[in-house]
Parts: sequence; structure tokens; C-alpha cells
Amino acid sequence: MDAILEGLKLVAATDVLIALLVSAVYGLIIGAIPGLTATMATALLVPITFYLSPLAAITTIVTASAMAIFSGDIPGCLLRIPGTPASAAYTDEAYALTKKGQAELALGASLWFSALGGIFGTIALMIIAPVLADFALSFSTFEYFWLSFLGLMCATLVARSSPVKAVASALIGLLIACIGMENPGGTPRFTFGVTDLLGGVDVIPALVGVFAVSEVMRAMAGPPAAKIGHKSLGSILAGQLELTKKYWRQMTRGNVVGTLVGVLPGAGADMAAWVCYAISKRFSKTPEKFGTGYPEGLVESGAANNAALAGAWVPALIFGIPGDTITAIAIGVLYMKGLNPGPTLFTEKASSMYAIYVIFMLANILMIPLGIIMIRITTKVLNAPQSAVMPLILLCCAVGAFAVGNNLFAVVIVAAFGIIGYVMEANGFPVAAMVLGIIMGSMVEQSLVTSLIKSDGGIMPFFDRPISAVLAVMAITALLWPLFFWLIKRVRQATARATA
Amino acid sequence: MQFSDRINGGFLVVLGVLAAYGGSLLPPVPGQPVGPNIFPIVIGVGLTICGLLIAFGIGHNFEAEEKIEPTADGSAVATRSMWWIIVPPLLLLFYVFAVEWLGFVLTSAIIAFITSMSLRGTLKIAIAMAIASPLVVHLVFAKLLRVPLPAGLLPLPW
Repeated sequence: MDAILEGLKLVAATDVLIALLVSAVYGLIIGAIPGLTATMATALLVPITFYLSPLAAITTIVTASAMAIFSGDIPGCLLRIPGTPASAAYTDEAYALTKKGQAELALGASLWFSALGGIFGTIALMIIAPVLADFALSFSTFEYFWLSFLGLMCATLVARSSPVKAVASALIGLLIACIGMENPGGTPRFTFGVTDLLGGVDVIPALVGVFAVSEVMRAMAGPPAAKIGHKSLGSILAGQLELTKKYWRQMTRGNVVGTLVGVLPGAGADMAAWVCYAISKRFSKTPEKFGTGYPEGLVESGAANNAALAGAWVPALIFGIPGDTITAIAIGVLYMKGLNPGPTLFTEKASSMYAIYVIFMLANILMIPLGIIMIRITTKVLNAPQSAVMPLILLCCAVGAFAVGNNLFAVVIVAAFGIIGYVMEANGFPVAAMVLGIIMGSMVEQSLVTSLIKSDGGIMPFFDRPISAVLAVMAITALLWPLFFWLIKRVRQATARATA
Repeated sequence: MQFSDRINGGFLVVLGVLAAYGGSLLPPVPGQPVGPNIFPIVIGVGLTICGLLIAFGIGHNFEAEEKIEPTADGSAVATRSMWWIIVPPLLLLFYVFAVEWLGFVLTSAIIAFITSMSLRGTLKIAIAMAIASPLVVHLVFAKLLRVPLPAGLLPLPW
């Protein structure tokens, strides 16, 4: 009880409340601009979190990401361009509603079910995390190896591209993580004599390059952004209670599945939305209405992506393994602020944990009033020309990366990763998998090498412990599923030919 | 910037072989079966396998079809020459080499102006961005967060 009160006291600090409000507005605006994602909003925040208190730093990330995931629905609904990838699953549905003249219903549903989903995800985080933390105390390097491997594999499943390319992306990320002196031997590895590379490739400039600079590059090559005329909207929340009553089953299912997908290491809000939209359609009584402006799928997947956001913090806080790209960034901030992720976080820093839960709640509650204001002024934000937004983004990339270590080499890294990110994306290699590879590289290597030393170079001990064996099976299944899928298809084709 | 899968796969094979070879050259930790060499070798082998699979087009049918994003009025707008994409990285390199000498305000004003103009901005917007964005970024990073941004030729009066 003392810890809870202590946590509340931490949240009531002025700097935390200011951080909450400012990052909420920031997240809403970034999310609403097509092309600027929630991950990018978070990546650009990191340099700023350096200068904040630990809780204020976490607050900015939690709040900005939650707001950005919601407000990504706005351009999807009005322009049929998802503001963030997490909205892509149901963009067509929301736009169809807008075309039927029910834009306020679609926007209201996005807002209302996003907030409810976020609150559900937070409660799940509060319940699951401590239980799992108890369990995780008995984990050894073998389990950690498989868990981080599973995280990487899940990241490759999320990508809707060739699984081979996704695995290759993750491997490229791991290879990048090899650069530097931080390896079991302490010898410079792949530094090619460049002193600046001895410390390895910094994650933050790499993230900023991949997620922000490549976006500016895409804007350069792409067609001019779509414009939206002035739209007047009716009451936003009218009819939402009715929808909640009518679709409470779908909403609950979306919340539960969304949270579970979020908890899965490597899979985040994007995947949750796609999975839940598909589930909703599969179990609907009227699947033929999907895609024609029907709120059922919108309710389920809109609730799911915000629930996933909180769920993703479970593996991040307990194992230091990111649940998605946003928590991947957040983990770096946790380390920086002395809140090292791990099962003991829940006993040693209990008050900080409660404070984080409270922040999650506050952010999701604040989403409703601020979201309504955002929807009202949205036409202005959406009409901001790229030529006015992108210069500011590019400057923030340069200065933000520099600010991390007061080192100009970081800006070179940003430029390099802008190009890498752009080329990879253009060729169908999912960049999120690479980013997770970079972030988890040292963890995967450390757990692999320590385990190999313990086992004297043997492979069998990796499968000996029961939990380790279960995780191994899950990870290997995730790696090989495309092969199963392909085999099943071949067998079916063969039997079809045989019967014909 | 789109290459055929042959080239993508070939590149990965070369990268994988180099990584594995480079890894194998690293000195082991004395008295241990494994050291800093094992991880790059494993990655290198993995990349080589992935590269071969990609070059032979395996897994290609999982890729989502290229979608052409519709514009608001439904008309298709031609995309521009690919050379434009090199502008942002070049501007960042310009920042690295010029900021110490020109100072933050001038360097960032130039970057903002060029970015804005290359994104089909009007002269009015570009000039406004060139004046406003250095001031905003300076205010946030140098004043509030105390990041030492070089003053150079044009220091701000505050």
C-alpha cells in the first residue's frame, strides 16, 4: 500500500504532469500526420528524455505513443491514408464509413475504443507483470537466449513481407550489433579502424535514421501529399455507448487478443490490429458487411492496437525484451534512467512501477478530451504542407542525434541509416526486424555465448530445462512456419491433382 | 532504388560470407571454447542461406502486392526522379561538416530552406521555415535542454 501511495506521489510531481500534457499534444500531432509513425515520435523523444527525471522520461514515451496510435486513425478515416501502420488494418473500413457520411461515428469509435483498449491493456499489465516476474526469477541464460530469439522471430512474423527477407533483416540488425568492442573478447570487431565505431553503433541515431530520415526521403521521391477540404463534424462521442453495448463481445475479444499479441516479444500494435480485424471478420455473423463501412471490425481492431501497446511493456519490463519497436526504444531509456528491466524491478522499485501504471491510466483517460480537440482541429494539421513539416523533422533528426552524446559522428550514423532504411523498405525488407536485431544483438550474443561456455560448447543443454525446451519449440516453429505452410500447400495441391 | 531479388540475394550472400570470414579471423578468448568469433560466424551463415533463398525467389509469394496509394481526388500523380531521395542524407552530412564553422543557426537555416524547396514548397514557406525552424530547435535543444550547439558565425543574442 505504501508503494502505491509513493507511486501516486511520484506522478503528482509538476515535471511529470507537464511532460504528460506536452507529450500528449506532441503524440497526437505526429500520429495524425501520415508517414510520421508512433515509433518515430518515440525515437525523436529519446534525446529529450536524457534531460528529464526518470518518471517524466517514461511518461513522455507512454503518453506520446498511446496518443500517436489513436490519432493515426484520423487521417485513415478522413483520407484513407493511415497515420501510423497500426491503423492500416482498418483504414478502408473507417474510410467507407466516412464516405457514407458517418465520419464522426468512425472517429468517435476509434477514440472511444482506443482509450478503453488502452485502459484494459494497462490493467492486464498490472496483473500479468508481477506474476510473470516471479516466474522469471528462475530463468537462466538458456531461457533468455530462446526468449530473445523468439522475440526476433516474432518480429519477422509481423512483417507482411517475405519471411526470408524478414529473417535476413533481423540478421542484418544482429550483424550491426556486432560492431564495436562490447563483445565476449573485448576485441574491436568490424570497426575497420574507425575510432568512433569502437563503442558500437548507437541505437538512437540508427532508429532516428531508419524511422525518420527515410520518411523524409520517401516524401522527396513520392507524390505531393493529399489535401483535405474543410469538414464539419457532428458530436464525436454520440452513439459510442450504444456501440459498446452492441459490440461488447468484440471489444473484449479485441482487448484480450490485442494484449496477448502485445505481450508476445517482438509483435506489437500493428500485428494486433491485423490479427483482430481478421478474427472479427471470421467470427462475425455478417462478414459480408466488412469493408463496406461497418463498425464491428473497427471496434475490435481499434481496441486491440491500444491494448497491445500496454501489453508490449510486459516483456520489456520483466526481461528487457521489447514487445514492439516502441518498447524497444523505451528499454534504452529505462537503462539510462537506472530502472534496469528485470524481474527484480517489481520488488526493488515497486513505487516506480505503480507510478508507471498510473501514467498509463492517466494517458488513456486524457486521450478522450484531447482526442476530441484533435479531431476538431485535425483538418488544419492534415493540411500542413510537407514542405513545412519535413524541414523541422530533419533538423530534429540532426540535433537530436547529436544531443545523445554531443558527438557529430552520430549525425553521420543517422544519414547512413536513413539510406539503409530507405533501400531496405523499397526492396521489401522490413526495417522493424532490423531495428530489433540491433537492439537485442548484445543480449542474444551474451546469452548465447554464456550458455555455450556453460555447456562446454554443447547444444543439448539448450533443450534440457523444461521452460527452455518450450521456448525453443516456439522459437523454432516461428522460424520454420513458412516452410510448413508451403509444404501443406504442396500436399494439398498433390492430393487435389490425384483426385482429379 | 528497387533491385531485383537476384541482386538483393547476391548482396546478402557476399555480406554473409564476409561476416563469417571476418568473424573467423577474430582471436578467441584463451581457455574458452567460444569467443567473439562465434556470433558473426552464425550470422554470416544465416545471411548466406537467406541470400541464396532470396536469389532463387523462395518466399517471394508471401510479399504483399505493391499498392498505389490513391490521392484525394482519385487521380494518379507521377512520382519524381529517384535522385531526390539523396537530398536528406546529403543535408545531414552538410550539417556535420558545416556546423562548427557556420554555426547552428546558419547551417540549419540552409538545411530547412533546401528541404522545403525540394519538397515543392513555395518560396514563402521555405523562407518562413528557414527563419522559424532554427529558432524553434535552438530554443528547445539549446535553451531548455542545454545541448551545446555551436554559435559559429551567427550567434543568437540570448
